[in-house]
Amino acid sequence: MISRPIYFISTVLIMSFSYVFFLTFFNEGQPNKMPIAVVDLDNSSVSRQFARNLEIMQHCHIEMRLNSHKEAREEMQRGNIYAFVEIKKNFAKEAVSNLRPSITFYINDGYLIAGSLISKDITYISAVTSIGMQQKILRAKGVDENRIKGIIQPIVLDSHLIGNPWANYGTYLLNVILPGILQLMVLMMTVFPIGVEYKERTSREWLKNSDNSMFAALTGKLLPYTVIYTILGVIGNMLLFRYMHYPLNSSIGWMFLATFLLVLSSQAVGILFIGITPVLRDGVTFAGLFGMLGVTFAGSTFPIEQMPAGTRIFSNFFPIHHYFNIYVNQALNGIGMHYSLLSVIALLSFSIFPLFVFIRLKKAAINQNFPIK
Amino acid sequence: MKIIRKSTSARKVFSMVKDILVVVRNEFQTMFKDRGVVIMLVLAPLAYPVLYCSLYKNETLIDVPVTAVDCSRSQESRELLRHFDATQNIQIVSRFGTLAEAKQAYNQKKVHGVIFIPADFSKRINSGEQTTVSVYADISSFMYYRIINQACNNCVMAMSNQIQVERLNANGITGESATILSSPIPFEGVVLYNEGAGFASFLMPAVLILILFQTLFLGIGIIAGTSRGENRFHVLVSSSVQRGQTFRVILGKSICYFTLYASWSFFILMLIPRAFNLPHIGIPFDILMLLIPFLLASIFFSMTISVFMPHRETSMVVFMFMSLILLFLSGFSWPQSNINGFWKVFAWVIPSTNGIQGYIKINSLGADLRHISFEYISLWVQTAVYFATTCWAYYWQINKIKTKSENQVEDQDDNLTEDSTDAVLN
Repeated sequence: MISRPIYFISTVLIMSFSYVFFLTFFNEGQPNKMPIAVVDLDNSSVSRQFARNLEIMQHCHIEMRLNSHKEAREEMQRGNIYAFVEIKKNFAKEAVSNLRPSITFYINDGYLIAGSLISKDITYISAVTSIGMQQKILRAKGVDENRIKGIIQPIVLDSHLIGNPWANYGTYLLNVILPGILQLMVLMMTVFPIGVEYKERTSREWLKNSDNSMFAALTGKLLPYTVIYTILGVIGNMLLFRYMHYPLNSSIGWMFLATFLLVLSSQAVGILFIGITPVLRDGVTFAGLFGMLGVTFAGSTFPIEQMPAGTRIFSNFFPIHHYFNIYVNQALNGIGMHYSLLSVIALLSFSIFPLFVFIRLKKAAINQNFPIK
Repeated sequence: MKIIRKSTSARKVFSMVKDILVVVRNEFQTMFKDRGVVIMLVLAPLAYPVLYCSLYKNETLIDVPVTAVDCSRSQESRELLRHFDATQNIQIVSRFGTLAEAKQAYNQKKVHGVIFIPADFSKRINSGEQTTVSVYADISSFMYYRIINQACNNCVMAMSNQIQVERLNANGITGESATILSSPIPFEGVVLYNEGAGFASFLMPAVLILILFQTLFLGIGIIAGTSRGENRFHVLVSSSVQRGQTFRVILGKSICYFTLYASWSFFILMLIPRAFNLPHIGIPFDILMLLIPFLLASIFFSMTISVFMPHRETSMVVFMFMSLILLFLSGFSWPQSNINGFWKVFAWVIPSTNGIQGYIKINSLGADLRHISFEYISLWVQTAVYFATTCWAYYWQINKIKTKSENQVEDQDDNLTEDSTDAVLN
């Protein structure tokens, strides 16, 4: 195992690199102070005040002040800004004379994350400006101060995000991407060490060394990886929940258990792949394609329920889908472990998979009747 | 070789073209004989875009199940709930008397949100006070919370405005002045380039380019790893290649990859967006102009790295996970403006970043070549640099094999003809 660099690279090195990359990449939590532009054709104290108000918002930073709609649109197409606000000429004048001047803002939703965060901020500031104006007029009309609040905003929407109240992008993504990479690497490094025995025609000795017991041979082969990847996975959990302080509303022990089960079940799927075709190159290809799909089928990026019919059943064949369920229940929602029981059972039942290919693997190991290329 | 040296320059060119064509033919033959390579370079670029586009084809969420806890049980609260239910995005599937019961349903994943209307809701509305509606949204997927919040916000705003006008009337402000007062500074947000805020329209353009890049990268890695693994000197290029022919081998191979990927690009970048209704407002000529340096840079980048692949499986095992990292480095989701310095440079070095940004800007945002001059020039710079590194890497490999084989000839007077005849110009 120590003989070739690939073993070290694909375990410690890749996982460490992924941890360092993603934790430094999403360090901020939410993308703050993204560049926007203001096209202020009025250039009055009112419009400048509006721009200053925008500047204080979390997600916006006025990168440029432009003179025309066309210029702003081109900057948007260059990708230099994610939104721009257009304030028309005579804005201040019309505002004081009750002519309802309008503010228009343009959002680039081609970059959806940036667009929707900025849109929220600009909408808020626009509403505040409008409300400020209302307040002024109502006071001028002599409406009772106590009633003004009820007139301006009769119903307030008070929204709560369950488990991740700051809508932290890192919390949302890393809890599926890091386990996603873990399961991908486990799959690869289950198929690879077994497949190499067949490719290099050393499978007979491998089997002989374990007294012709396929079970012992597989266990001996994969146990070191179970240990290494579980340790790496647990380090990942510690990094997310202890170092980054991402929400964890139950014991971290459950996440350790889920990680361990994810490693185990991915290994079972890996054995299935190399068992179906005991040819190294095909096994690695299948494992890679399956592992990459896993990130989609975890159900975090786009809910599985809203995908085309049938995907829901299909998603159950991905260990990470069940891991993600446990994560949502335990870390985000902080509810009793009995809600996750089904997911745990599902993860455990992946260990049936190797049984299907046991005999085939053993025969192939003895007969060596598969192509090596 | 003697003949070539003595011949005229015209014949020199002719023989070079012939050599290159031989390399192209051999490369195509190796590719299509090898099942692993066919999967990576043919099947994956054809199947992956279709698969991913089908999975994400719904773009947005429709009728997300939510539950309502209506403690007010009044005409007003029922009206508001009807509005919620009528939206395209959410659907009230159940009603409970208490938040605890609603929480139970949420925990069982029967619903993804809870709407709570307090007992004094209608009383406060009728007495002209401010009232609150609470919404609790699932954030396990950002899609849920965005959709639920947006739908609730719209309904509450609509009802709010209606009540506002009534209250203004009650305060003696009517007609035109009530309209003005209810919205003295109207504001309008115009969503550009992805009007429906669709998820596929946002994600897929980046994924499409990444599929091109990663399959090309891994495929070239497999081919190089195979020839190194099978070669008797454990080097990349087989022994029939002469010193000074580096250029022809590289040119031949890259022509082969380029032709193949030019056709995949047409399928992936032109047909797929139209078939799945992804943004496609770019001018085909501009996409073509971006594509040429992107493919060349990707090919030479992959060929440089591929020299270090000792076995055919290495590139898959070691670089598959990079797909996810490259996707985020491209800055399509976490904006480029917020990527910190080191990762920005790291991202710039890899052709996929500029390819993805350039493609999104042309095809989703309707930019033309002058808007993406940064990406365009970067890709050409990369093409030049990676071509140089490829030449260097191949030259190094060819030299290595020459030295090795000469040593061996001296040692045991072994004839190399056997090896060189079966060895194709890999």
